[in-house]
Amino acid sequence: MDFVLQVKLAVYRTTARQGGPPEAEALARELGVPIAKLAEAYADLAKHRLLVLEGDGLTIRMAPPFSGVPTQHRVRVEGIDYFANCAWDALAIPAALHRPGEVHSRCEQSLEPLQLAVGLDGPEPTNWLFHTPVPAARWWQDIVYT
Amino acid sequence: MLFFRSEEQIDAWCAARNVPRRPLVRMDQLWHLAVTWYATRLEPESRRPAPSEMRGIFERLGLYGDFWDPSSDTFR
Repeated sequence: MDFVLQVKLAVYRTTARQGGPPEAEALARELGVPIAKLAEAYADLAKHRLLVLEGDGLTIRMAPPFSGVPTQHRVRVEGIDYFANCAWDALAIPAALHRPGEVHSRCEQSLEPLQLAVGLDGPEPTNWLFHTPVPAARWWQDIVYT
Repeated sequence: MLFFRSEEQIDAWCAARNVPRRPLVRMDQLWHLAVTWYATRLEPESRRPAPSEMRGIFERLGLYGDFWDPSSDTFR
């Protein structure tokens, strides 16, 4: 298997298992490679928008839809808590895991809490809405803001 | 990319920041986007939609216009 693909699968499957992205040193040990080789694979994955890295090139800020840092979008799936990067990603975590989950977030204006059950076929009926002020052409210009 | 309780809350949020209100997306539409982008993310053969596919994906969900087109110059 291609090493970059191996790293991608390891990152995502570790994240799915533990709720957040792996530490680089731990992952390098697990894969039996020097940290520099892992950094090269991370850079390649970032180029293809499969990871968003911090400035050190080794800390995962985003493994979309999972966040490497706490956010206001928390998703609980089978007893594991994940943070999502945005509202879209909050629904995407149960979709990616193919498991039902519960989204805990908020209305960004009123701060009213949102608790939304998401089944295998989608969220329970709700009249909550999703809105982004950023057009698709600019999503990746500043993905953290988006 | 945020959740809102109602259209009125979106209007208030946009007004407070002096940003235009953009298209509203229902939760069932958002679910389809989530599945389309991420359902295979943990698999070896995963792929995300190419920019050339995105406008069609949005249109099939009833989301029309340049706002959803990553190649559009309208909002650059």
